[in-house]
Amino acid sequence: MIESIILWLFAISAAPFFSAMILKVKAFFGGRKGPPLLINYYTLIKLFKKGSVYSTSTTIMFKLGPIISLGSAITVLMFLPIAGQQAIFSFNGDIIFILYTMGLSRFFTIAAAMDTASPFEGMGAAREAYFPIICEAATFMIFILFYRLTGELQLSAYFSGDNTIALWNLAGAPLLFIIFSFFIILLTENSRVPADDPATHLELTMIHEVMVLDHSGPDLGLIELGSFCKLFFYSTIISRLILPFDLGFPGLAFVLYLLGLALVYIAVGVIESIIARYRMDAVPQFVLTSFALAFFATIITLEFIR
Amino acid sequence: MGQFFISILIILFGGFFSLILVRKAKFAKIITVFLLSIGCLSGLMDAVLNLIQPGIAGASFKYLNVFFLAFRMDGLSGFFLVVIFAVCLLATLYSFHYMEHSGNDVRTAVNYFFFSILIASMALVVTAANMITFMLFWEIMSLSSFFLVIYKHHKAESRKAGYLYFVFSHVGAMFIFVAFGIVYGYTGSFGFDAMGSLPETAKILVFIFSFVGFGSKAGVFPFHVWLPHAHPAAPSHISAVMSGVMIKIGIYGIIKMYVLLNFHTPIFGNIVIVAGVVSGILGVVYALGQHDLKRLLAYHSVENIGIILIGLGIGMIGVSSKNPLMAVLGFTGGLFHVLNHSIFKSLLFMGAGMVLHKTGTRSIDALGGLIKKMKITGITFIIGSLAICGLPPFNGFVGEFFIYIGGFKGIALENSVFAASIFAIVSLAVIGGLALACFTKVVGVVFQGEPRTKAAVDVDEKGPTMLISMSILAGACILIGIFPQMIIWMPIKAVSALGLGYNPIDFESILQMTANITLAATIFLITLLPVIAIRWFFYRGKIIRRSGTWGCGFTQPTVKMQYTGSSYASFILDFFRPVAPLDEDHPKITGRFPLKTYYKSQVNDIAELNMKRVVVNPVLFLFDKLRWIQQGDIHLYIGYILLAIILLLVFI
Repeated sequence: MIESIILWLFAISAAPFFSAMILKVKAFFGGRKGPPLLINYYTLIKLFKKGSVYSTSTTIMFKLGPIISLGSAITVLMFLPIAGQQAIFSFNGDIIFILYTMGLSRFFTIAAAMDTASPFEGMGAAREAYFPIICEAATFMIFILFYRLTGELQLSAYFSGDNTIALWNLAGAPLLFIIFSFFIILLTENSRVPADDPATHLELTMIHEVMVLDHSGPDLGLIELGSFCKLFFYSTIISRLILPFDLGFPGLAFVLYLLGLALVYIAVGVIESIIARYRMDAVPQFVLTSFALAFFATIITLEFIR
Repeated sequence: MGQFFISILIILFGGFFSLILVRKAKFAKIITVFLLSIGCLSGLMDAVLNLIQPGIAGASFKYLNVFFLAFRMDGLSGFFLVVIFAVCLLATLYSFHYMEHSGNDVRTAVNYFFFSILIASMALVVTAANMITFMLFWEIMSLSSFFLVIYKHHKAESRKAGYLYFVFSHVGAMFIFVAFGIVYGYTGSFGFDAMGSLPETAKILVFIFSFVGFGSKAGVFPFHVWLPHAHPAAPSHISAVMSGVMIKIGIYGIIKMYVLLNFHTPIFGNIVIVAGVVSGILGVVYALGQHDLKRLLAYHSVENIGIILIGLGIGMIGVSSKNPLMAVLGFTGGLFHVLNHSIFKSLLFMGAGMVLHKTGTRSIDALGGLIKKMKITGITFIIGSLAICGLPPFNGFVGEFFIYIGGFKGIALENSVFAASIFAIVSLAVIGGLALACFTKVVGVVFQGEPRTKAAVDVDEKGPTMLISMSILAGACILIGIFPQMIIWMPIKAVSALGLGYNPIDFESILQMTANITLAATIFLITLLPVIAIRWFFYRGKIIRRSGTWGCGFTQPTVKMQYTGSSYASFILDFFRPVAPLDEDHPKITGRFPLKTYYKSQVNDIAELNMKRVVVNPVLFLFDKLRWIQQGDIHLYIGYILLAIILLLVFI
């Protein structure tokens, strides 16, 4: 329990660091030196020092947005087994709660954006409401496969202790599909290239960034921290999936986990450097790929794995 | 059942008084609302007591010789009675101020009269113990609600809605008659209990006919066409009752038939799941495309009926595949969603009623920024929206949670069950996502941003009873969402009364699930505290300014530039174009300085489009050919009747 809480605190505090790795990788590809690895902490400190300007159009919903989005991101992390350790909380069906809590945070993010009466934010909100629908279906498809394999409906049953290894032993080939599928979900849910471009300069083409245009100061800080945590959540799952080994040495598992995390973040950075974002109407097809992969993986298990 | 009948009598008296005291309108309304509330309250207490101490109470009245009336109250009817009386109580309360400036005392009195009959007939339908009683009150229920729909009968739109509803409810009733006719043909009795002895093919036929009949009342796709027309036409408290309660009587019928037929085949479960998925997804897609607030909510009823059916379907498959936990979870989830939907949907309709009352428009794109002037309405509406999207920690989540877990139980079973379960789970996820998109649209466009037209500028919220009803419902959404164990015993009692071969129910494991939901909701709420504290800490003593919204460099924004509901939804609707064809109308923009232009769009319901082509036109054609039968001569008609009787005597 104590270890789980320490890991949870580690996750929240390390999330900004790992996100900076993406920037470093992108800078490397662009032949630049890039910002320091602690850049996100500097940004957060700067934001928390500032005051705020609120639009006259906004209401309480605008202020609730950042609170709920950070609150749900760190709640979700409590249910996640980090580095193969047990999660702080876990119960049968926690997956559904996790996915719907993320839905709650989406609702409030969109509501906060709609609160500003800005056409750009409305546009971003419409897109934000759309793509995650397919992501959710794909995520459920993945958990259907996991349920079929383990008979359990909680993250701990898949990602803590030897469970991930057991998954590999049961159905290694479908899991390869799942990793790709989950990576696509990670990119879409966290507004990365090629679904969205966090570094674009034109508001018309943004999804997530445009929704927080009007937030400033500590409010923006909360949102940023929330999105770092969200990316960290997905990356932790993939890290565990690609390096599920437990070497019998307590520290070593943690090192492996960090290695996996670094791999995921670097992969995100590489993808961001080498491909352009898709046109808006091509994004759904991209996201549907993840659903198709997960579906295919599940069908394979039907025939070959009893 | 004494108290039950007394409650019904009080309710009927209430309606009766509103008619005879029509000249003293104000006094009549106080008396009526008082009596209706007392009746509902007493009925509610009786129903709850009946659920707590499960027992089967019955009564029969043999005035009509063969066609005697019989009533019985068991767990299932007790559960539905709770829903009926609770929502009607709050709707009555709400109506007190809603009907204040209706401008026409006679119409108000008639409205209350039929409202009381509707409440009474719904309560009597769910307690009916034979086919005669059931059909009698079923028809009274349909007719009384028909009169409520044509409340604004001077408007062509209302008359059309009423007509459509009339046709649908009677074609639906015909299907139920056919089903009951088949049963009578085999058993020779009007009782419900003999249904179990039918041969299997007859059972399938009876189930399909009654599913169509009850489905048309419940609003199952493609029999839902009347619903988006009828619900907006009625006054808002009636919409709340119709959408929150009356369509659930159709669900009651489906469950009742399933139990009575006592035939545990996977066919039934699969039919129900497929119907549920189609209604669920298409309902929410059409809802997304609506511009009329109440029509949008009506389509959401189609969606939620879909979710309920998915739950029931999972339950039925659980029964047929002999998996007791899956069966219990599916039925419990479905019934729990019946209760939850009645709470948040009536809340949303009441909110929409308040908006309509104060702004005079139902058009979503004409509104905006209402939450600033209508705080209670706005906040309760947002709570209702969160609940209908199935988000924690609100009540919608709990029912869906049970349905999900039930569905996942099916994943571990053989391939046919596995396929149905995948279908159900993925559809539920998609429905949830679409509902979220739809309600962020409603909340964002109606309550947030800036007013788009003058109608939304000078508004207020008055009418204490309206605000009280909405606040109670919103409170219930949160309370049930955090502490589902307070209510969970009700659907459980109803499910155990079904007696589908899984008793005794593993109550412990279900309580464990509700405890988990409470735990999760508490964790979430507690987690918010430090976040709020951090926010407070960093804002201490800082300068906080207010200014216009950042227009990305554009300095002269107008309210017209806001994203509208239509544009918000268009992106998603594009994806569903094959099932939701979009009609657009706008002139081409020409020249350097284009003049005023307009844009109209309408999402077409394929059921409605095809109904005309597939059903209405052939029927009209056929009857056109038979026109010569009708000569207008009364003697000829008497001759027809005689001929028909003789023919029947010969053949039967």
